Amino acid sequence: MEQLILASGECDLTQQTVCAPADVTELFEYRIPVFEILGFPITRTVFLMFLAAAIVAAITFFGLRRKAVVPGRFQAAVEALFGFVRDEVAIGIIGPHGIRYYPYLLAIFLFVLVGNFFEITPFVNFPITSRMALPASLAALTWVIFIAAGIKRQGVRYVADILWPPGVPVFLRPLVGAIEFVSTFLVRPFSLAVRLFANLVAGHVMLTLLLTTGLVSLTTIGEIGALKGAFGIAWWALGLAIFLFEVVVIVLQAYIFTLLSAVYIETSVNPAH
Amino acid sequence: MAYLYTLAVQILATAEPVPISEGGEGGGGLRLLLPVPEELIAGLIAFGIVFAVVWKFGIPALNETLDARAAAIKADLDAAEQAKQEAESLLDDYRAQLAGAREEAARIVEEAREAAEEVRADILSRAEAEAEAIRGRAREEIAAERERVAAELKQQVADLAIEIAGKLVAESLDVERQRQLVDRYIEELGGVR
Repeated sequence: MEQLILASGECDLTQQTVCAPADVTELFEYRIPVFEILGFPITRTVFLMFLAAAIVAAITFFGLRRKAVVPGRFQAAVEALFGFVRDEVAIGIIGPHGIRYYPYLLAIFLFVLVGNFFEITPFVNFPITSRMALPASLAALTWVIFIAAGIKRQGVRYVADILWPPGVPVFLRPLVGAIEFVSTFLVRPFSLAVRLFANLVAGHVMLTLLLTTGLVSLTTIGEIGALKGAFGIAWWALGLAIFLFEVVVIVLQAYIFTLLSAVYIETSVNPAH
Repeated sequence: MAYLYTLAVQILATAEPVPISEGGEGGGGLRLLLPVPEELIAGLIAFGIVFAVVWKFGIPALNETLDARAAAIKADLDAAEQAKQEAESLLDDYRAQLAGAREEAARIVEEAREAAEEVRADILSRAEAEAEAIRGRAREEIAAERERVAAELKQQVADLAIEIAGKLVAESLDVERQRQLVDRYIEELGGVR
């Protein structure tokens, strides 16, 4: 178990208070391929990404395949999840046009949600959304979509209005335009990706350090003494509390990522703001 | 299936972290900000799978279900509306029938009352007539009887008178003459009465 999480053999609680790896990347980088398909390395993380996709596909398929007019619990739950993204996010944020972006927003929400949930899934305990690849590529997709939506809807004016914003005193326009440009085209995708990434990294680091330290101190309580053992139990209890807290983070961050994607698309298709 | 399971377990158990960046320039956490090629590719493919499933299967399936549900609800509402109308028309029918029945009953009762009245009047008049007839007959009988009695009485009185008178006058008058005398006397008596 310990070796699943961390090279805890290196952890010496007589010297340290918390079992921390020498480099935090040890908690995130699994780059040794388990096997290769046509030269493509299937690492643990890569496998988990496909597993997440398979889980979403399974939930969708088994939840909606029966098409029962009077749904069972599972079907009702999946319908509620889909309906939430459609009504509250796609149509609720973007407006009637939002139905066009509903499949994209729904796919993002479900994929990020399952990817986040891997953080607290037993025997996985690793959120794939804490790897920059995922938040970055999804944020890049959102970036492409909201720019394309803006150009499709407003044409050149979309970029022009950002660079030379109307309704602003002329002498301020270059400054505001530059700020708007940077904020819209550079900061938005970056903050969108980093927000998700950082939340999941933080959660994973906290859980790993606290739970591992607790586990190691419990198994080595004879060597490290009662005082340090008590510390270890405290870390462990804190870890369990954070475990529950992370459930909120997981759902909230998936929601926020989807919501902000919708908000960015909305500002592109409804220029009135 | 068993193979897939073994494979999954094998992958999940591979926890060996990559050696800390060669050359020690590592930058620790900052390196986490850089996407790794195979994860970037895998992530996009996995997202593509999710998107395809959601877009091509999930949403159409859900829409189909929702449409079917809406149709079912609409059909139920229509059926309920129709049933309600049917019930209302049925109720109207029953009300009309009931009113008809009431009228009929009232008519029957009225007819019965009239018939009874008729019968009563009939019986009454017949009884009255009969009574009258009985009374008439009785009166006639009484009258006849009186007549008879009177005649008889007259006869007896006359006989008695003659007898008494005969005794008193002692043969002074003949019988015929005395009878005439008595008759006249009785006539006079009748006139006085």
